[in-house]
Amino acid sequence: MAKARKGWRAHGERSVRKGAPGISRRALLKAAGTGALGLTALGTVPGLWRWGAAAPAQLKGTSLSILQATYFIPAAQDLYKKQAQEWGQVQGVTVNTDFLNWPDLQPKISAAIQAGGYDIVELFPGWNYLYAENLVDLTDLAEAVAKKGGGWEGFVANDIKVNGRYLGVSHGNSNDSLNYRISWLKEVGVNLPDPAEQARTGKFLDLTFDEWFALGKKLKAKGRPLGQALGHSLGDPGSFCYPYMWSNGAMEVEKDGKTIAFNKPMFVDAMKRFIQAYKDGFDETGPSWDDSSNNKAFHAGQISMTLNGSSIYAVALKDFPEIAKDMNHTLIPKGPTGRFSLLGARTFGILKNSKNVAGAREFLAWWFDDKQYGDWIHIQGGYQLPSTKKWAKDPMWGKDPKMYAFSLQPSIGRDQGWAGPPNAKSGLAFSKYIIVDTFAKAVQSGDAAGSIKWGADQLQAIYGG
Amino acid sequence: MVGSAALGRRILTVYVPLALFLVFLLLPFYWMIVVSLKPPTDLFNLRFNPFLIQHFTPKNYLYLFQETAFLVWAKNTLIVSVAATTLALSCSVLIGYALARLRFPGGSAMGVGIFLAYLVPPTLLFLPLAQVVAKLHLYNTYWALIFTYPTFLIPFGSWLLMGYFRTIPREIEECALIDGSSRLGTLFKIVLPLSLPGILSAAIFSFTLSWNEFLYALIFMSSGPLKTIPVGTVSDLIKADVLFWGPLMASALLGSVPIAVIYTFFVDHYVSGLTAGAVKG
Amino acid sequence: MPDLHPAAARPEPLSAGRRGATYPRSLLEREPSLGLLLMLPGTLLLVIFMAYPFFLGLWLSLTDSMIGHPGRYVGLQNFVHLLGDSIFRQTARNTFVYALVTVPFKLMLGLGLALVLNTAIPFRNAIRAGVLMPFIVPTALSSLGWLMLFDPIFSPFSWLLKHWGLITRNINFLGTPVLAIVSVMVANIWRGTPFFAITILAGLQAVPAELHDAAAIDGAGAWQRFWNVTVPIILGVMLVSTLFSIIMTFADFQLIYVLTKGGPANETHIFGTYAYQIGLSATAIGQGAAIALYMFPILAVLAILLLRYLRREVA
Repeated sequence: MAKARKGWRAHGERSVRKGAPGISRRALLKAAGTGALGLTALGTVPGLWRWGAAAPAQLKGTSLSILQATYFIPAAQDLYKKQAQEWGQVQGVTVNTDFLNWPDLQPKISAAIQAGGYDIVELFPGWNYLYAENLVDLTDLAEAVAKKGGGWEGFVANDIKVNGRYLGVSHGNSNDSLNYRISWLKEVGVNLPDPAEQARTGKFLDLTFDEWFALGKKLKAKGRPLGQALGHSLGDPGSFCYPYMWSNGAMEVEKDGKTIAFNKPMFVDAMKRFIQAYKDGFDETGPSWDDSSNNKAFHAGQISMTLNGSSIYAVALKDFPEIAKDMNHTLIPKGPTGRFSLLGARTFGILKNSKNVAGAREFLAWWFDDKQYGDWIHIQGGYQLPSTKKWAKDPMWGKDPKMYAFSLQPSIGRDQGWAGPPNAKSGLAFSKYIIVDTFAKAVQSGDAAGSIKWGADQLQAIYGG
Repeated sequence: MVGSAALGRRILTVYVPLALFLVFLLLPFYWMIVVSLKPPTDLFNLRFNPFLIQHFTPKNYLYLFQETAFLVWAKNTLIVSVAATTLALSCSVLIGYALARLRFPGGSAMGVGIFLAYLVPPTLLFLPLAQVVAKLHLYNTYWALIFTYPTFLIPFGSWLLMGYFRTIPREIEECALIDGSSRLGTLFKIVLPLSLPGILSAAIFSFTLSWNEFLYALIFMSSGPLKTIPVGTVSDLIKADVLFWGPLMASALLGSVPIAVIYTFFVDHYVSGLTAGAVKG
Repeated sequence: MPDLHPAAARPEPLSAGRRGATYPRSLLEREPSLGLLLMLPGTLLLVIFMAYPFFLGLWLSLTDSMIGHPGRYVGLQNFVHLLGDSIFRQTARNTFVYALVTVPFKLMLGLGLALVLNTAIPFRNAIRAGVLMPFIVPTALSSLGWLMLFDPIFSPFSWLLKHWGLITRNINFLGTPVLAIVSVMVANIWRGTPFFAITILAGLQAVPAELHDAAAIDGAGAWQRFWNVTVPIILGVMLVSTLFSIIMTFADFQLIYVLTKGGPANETHIFGTYAYQIGLSATAIGQGAAIALYMFPILAVLAILLLRYLRREVA
């Protein structure tokens, strides 16, 4: 047993040492800093970008492995691959990019932390905290990117700073808003903004949750209910449950990150309304829905409204043009205490056990330059929400007025664990689907108070323990 | 006596149950075939009978060959499965023979130990195992899987072959030994040829499990083109919240064809190998 | 039946005649050394790639390790903590229900299928290979097929029943408390039945036809013949496949991971999926290891019972 322990520890220590063979941390920071500056000037000239004198010569002949989630927009995945190859060719670095199905990303990162093999990994919201000890401090780089971009969007700022340090640079996140069928809503008497006007004037279909539920009742009576996933799935279930909780005066914890603020009378009442609304206005099979269910249901004309990214719209443009013509997006409804969106930041981080930290830094500094990052943002046409503020005014948003609502989303974004800080505990609550399961239990049992008490107990065990 | 009554009974006791079994066991495959031959727009159109193909399309299969590295995945899967099966089988033959025929210290304890190895779930093993794989520099090589798959192949293989070796009359071996053959000589020249059905069974079984494995293949070998069919299918045909159902099902079916063919030809040998090994032992 | 205690089982060492004729010459001829030598390659593989990581996992379960963060020794705290975790208790309950319901079904269906396959039927080989398909297709992919079959809106089962006018609303296979676990159990039974069928079929082929004929002449009916002639011979193989199946079902992961990830509201979580969720998604690898290890003693007891049975049978 003792031997096993020694092996385990020894490996951890060695990984850290391996991080930067022969280079002091200071030198590394400096190299990356100058690199970032150098490329700002040069990077704007497409195709002519070359490293200046600041580029560390030892990169040549090294290799770089990047791990991330598969893209919904295949063209963006291809672009990223191409960019990485281009950089590799100029630098003389062999670059390898791997893309995995979302649920498979985490075990692979965990294994990479134990065993090495990757330099840059993509981290979903909260993972910067989970893997804090294994990520390289990228504060200098992140701050340079933020500065250049006019500051982080709100949802990014909190999410990736762990104990005051940036452990990754955020590329933003994929979008999420309420998808609706124009003609079906008009049929039940909703006054809808014209999509073209929507982008020009900033008007959008502004609903409260109660209005939304009432609308659902009318729509379901016509056989076209609302759709909301409540199963164990990373995306859609949480993107309704967290905001609904926040909009109704409850949260996992207060700002102190300790006091549970979940079991609130106001939330219990709201949950009762949701239970009723779920019967009256939603497709009631939602507890078994995963992230792909509402996409299918919307395309098949089975539901009239659902919270989702613009992947529904993008597929419709390709395969279901009639539906694409008849749909639009709006922000998630608001509640008594405001309008919120669950929107953590996805980041690129560097693993400490990487054998090429210097190369990884150089690559990230280069990639986050406006040219590369901008191309990557533009090719996704709004599916990807940028991480810094200056992109909010990008002409990209005016191109398709139906994508306009997504440009408003970053401003209402909140992280897991809010109002407390996002950290390992909020990550655990998210991984255990405590909030989502509270909702699933509620609609299954019809017992609002009991379900919320169950959730509060679970949260107490996580945050109090 | 042998008349319609007997035939009626036979229909009732054999053909009706057989038909029910076939429906239960094969319906999902029928479904997968239908899905793989439909365009995506028909798939979720509730006006169409989901069990029928309204607009036949080979596009999903073409997509597999043109847009994904399916053939590379198939090559990887084949190399890994053949090598892991060979390695596991070699070890199982030796272990099975030792446990069946030889008396040596710790033998029975080792037999139990190998059997108990089956009780360890891969979900517990794979993270510590990742360290081992990395320390031995096997990460992202075929060897990572060739060495790790035998951990779940050897227990069953040894058990099966041990039983099989016991069915071979001891006297045959003893004659050879008296004639001056060495111990290993008898194993390779006499026992192994007599045990071919058992070895074939163990081989088919091992090959199937290797071909289908997912978790280790995902963790230890999923970089670039180094993917097996299950891993490549899931990582390249599911894009965020959109699943490419047609190509997914096409890949699942195409990926199973080689094994299905093996079984069609060898199923009798497979069963008889199991019979001698697992039952008479 | 095979037993795993050759020393206990074998009535006598290799014949005395051989001993007299060939005196042990080398390591390769002496039983103790040759035995160990033959065990070596496989054992080495199992030690490096199974026993060593297993002990690491065992150690992890006694620490508060997080992924990438070596923890401190905390004794049995993880195991104790889990007893107070209502999700874990639900997981344990689910796992038992999952295994204890599906295994008898798989055994019974497998037995029935084996009996049918053991008769003279047309296209025997093709049918035998065909029924093995659920075992052949990678679970990671066939589970996706089931995911479509159980789809809340597009399930072809719901479509058919609606078409026949038997139901008016879609069946929510994976979204209602009891039905969810029933649905994953159906998929599990589907996947596991062929394994039983083929091993029991192997057992049936060992039943000598003469015994049946003799019993028939003595006037035994089909049921009596089955019970008194067939069953005693295949009992062993049925027990062994049952044990294998219990182990595989207890340790299942892939199927439920694809279908529900333990949802809705943890009603389908089993040890494997919960260990994965806590150990990997939440990175509490120490606790995750403890969850996975909770099933070990249960399985070990079963395994030991079986080994004892096998030993007694031989003795």
